[in-house]
Amino acid sequence: MRIHSSMLAVPAILLSLGILNGCGRKAERTNEVVAASAARLPLDPLDPAWAEAPGHVEKLILQDLVEPRLMKASTPEILVEALTSGSEIAFRLSWPDEAVNDLPGAGRFLDQCAVQIPRAIEADAPAPQMGEAGRPVEISFWRADWQASVDGRKDNINALFPNAAIDHYPFEAKPLDPGSSDQKEMATRYAPSQAVGNRRVGPRETPVEDLLAEGPGTLSPAPARISRGMGVRTKEGWAVVIIRKLPEGLTPRRRSAVAFAVWQGSEQEAGARKMRSGWVPLALRAAK
Amino acid sequence: MARVYNWQIGREMSYWYPGNRPQRQFAAVFDTNKCIACQTCTLACKTTWTSGKGQEYMLWNNVETKPYGSYPLAWDLNLLKDLNGGKWNGKTYEGQTIFESAAAGERVQSWRPKTEDYSYPNVGEDDCAGAVDYGMSMDLPHMNWFYYLARICNHCTYPACLASCPRGSIYKRQEDGIVLVDQSRCRGYQECVKGCPYKKVYFNPMTGTSEKCIACFPKIEQGIQPQCFVNCIGKIRMAGFINTPDKAQAENPIDYLVHLRKIALPLYPQFGLEPNVYYIPPVHVPPPFLRQMFGPGVDAAIAAYRNSANDPDLAGLLSLFGSSEMLMTKWKRQGETVTGSNDKGQPMVSIPMKEPVFIRPAYDKLYQITRTNCP
Repeated sequence: MRIHSSMLAVPAILLSLGILNGCGRKAERTNEVVAASAARLPLDPLDPAWAEAPGHVEKLILQDLVEPRLMKASTPEILVEALTSGSEIAFRLSWPDEAVNDLPGAGRFLDQCAVQIPRAIEADAPAPQMGEAGRPVEISFWRADWQASVDGRKDNINALFPNAAIDHYPFEAKPLDPGSSDQKEMATRYAPSQAVGNRRVGPRETPVEDLLAEGPGTLSPAPARISRGMGVRTKEGWAVVIIRKLPEGLTPRRRSAVAFAVWQGSEQEAGARKMRSGWVPLALRAAK
Repeated sequence: MARVYNWQIGREMSYWYPGNRPQRQFAAVFDTNKCIACQTCTLACKTTWTSGKGQEYMLWNNVETKPYGSYPLAWDLNLLKDLNGGKWNGKTYEGQTIFESAAAGERVQSWRPKTEDYSYPNVGEDDCAGAVDYGMSMDLPHMNWFYYLARICNHCTYPACLASCPRGSIYKRQEDGIVLVDQSRCRGYQECVKGCPYKKVYFNPMTGTSEKCIACFPKIEQGIQPQCFVNCIGKIRMAGFINTPDKAQAENPIDYLVHLRKIALPLYPQFGLEPNVYYIPPVHVPPPFLRQMFGPGVDAAIAAYRNSANDPDLAGLLSLFGSSEMLMTKWKRQGETVTGSNDKGQPMVSIPMKEPVFIRPAYDKLYQITRTNCP
């Protein structure tokens, strides 16, 4: 079950989000997302180095451009902290979520989050709803089930349904040798999305996917992997670090913009059913 | 929403996209009176398409016993309850379709099955509508009833799965109207699973995308009927293509049964999808139940079907069911012979309307033994 905004007063949320990082640091809050310089970008959301990162609390709003959509708000806001190494930028996203939703299945939905940055820095950013035609946005997308896969959950049906009993898969029967090319070829016949190279298919090496979009419904795989990440459970919810290549043109003297989205699996959120932010100014803090 | 014409409900209706009928529309007729629920169709599909990891629970084809059977659980009852009935005025549906009754923020009115709703594929199997007790089974006709409903994707003219996908990952082929999920584009949002009122799209948790019946399109492209059709031992199915009523052709077997003789009816036409699998309703089931399921044409359909023994054309065409593996898009009766032909008019099969009967003498003189003749 998610935490309704009505259940939490703003100070309480700030307090809880402050605790989320578990670093016991002073909570520097900024009105924009500011990435502080760091010699090392910690992938682990619980790394003490995050104590040096300034934080920004961004209110989330309903995605209201595309149906089907949520009609009732879920995740009220998100705490974003950021660090930069000069060549990469790291975001630490944390939000309250009582339930872990990391098991895919019919009628099951997953906890997810995303960071969106315009490909080009312009005077007016493209539409925050996933960009515009000819004005793409780069999206780094994290999913809880991919994290579980990276963390060691097996890629089989019993990992999802522990009591499942499977009589027989035709591609695991003789005379096909386990692991042989013939065996893999036959298994692929029954996995159409794998056959066409859809990245939904596990097992996964990373919980983060790089995507491009030029407006709603145009999301497509990015040609190159520029992001990596890691998500962990905290007492209050999720903390996810996404590290990606520094956006083109972003310098301490030139801002860009960044937007965020969160999906609560317990609220059956996926795709267009999400909570999102508008564009938030993204700044780099010069090294001292 | 756009306005489109749905001939099955006799009026225009709202749909998410403008009307765009394909060049030809895959369609099928199922004779429920012949189905024995042997599930050979189910297994033919299963072994061909859904034997992979994550597909264990998928039944692109299933056969359920009505009134109590359903897969997934209560797929029809849940929506009927939400639609609160639905009123027909003659052949015109005056209630709201699932596109017209969609709530704010939704594209269709729908409900989402839970994982456990897929746990009971055989629920209600062979259960009568009421108890057969106290010697009732000794009398005919039986007061209680059940029948078998074989189901595949209806490859609807106005698919709710297609309308529901915010990414446009589902498409309807122009060449044959078959509805497919683009497996390279799908991101597994499960909106199609929710949106389809027949619940014929399934989410694969291992590959992360949704999958559905593809009408065995590689076979259709070669002029061959799908697996669940050619493996049907009850010979209840015929695949082909359907025209709109104004362009119905008597030589087209599907047009003839659906439009001209009107003995095959769509499944829940009031949902508004213009589904393209047509059912000859069971003759022994109370009409009010069937009218809800197949619309207002039920009584006439049953009367025509009951009279088929006196109707050589109808009897002849019905006997073509299951007679050939090939698609028969044309048919013709000449005397006691019925011929099914392909698009080019080439005969695929010719059959006698009445099989010749041979009675073997009980005593075999050659081997000097007596045999029993079984009918």
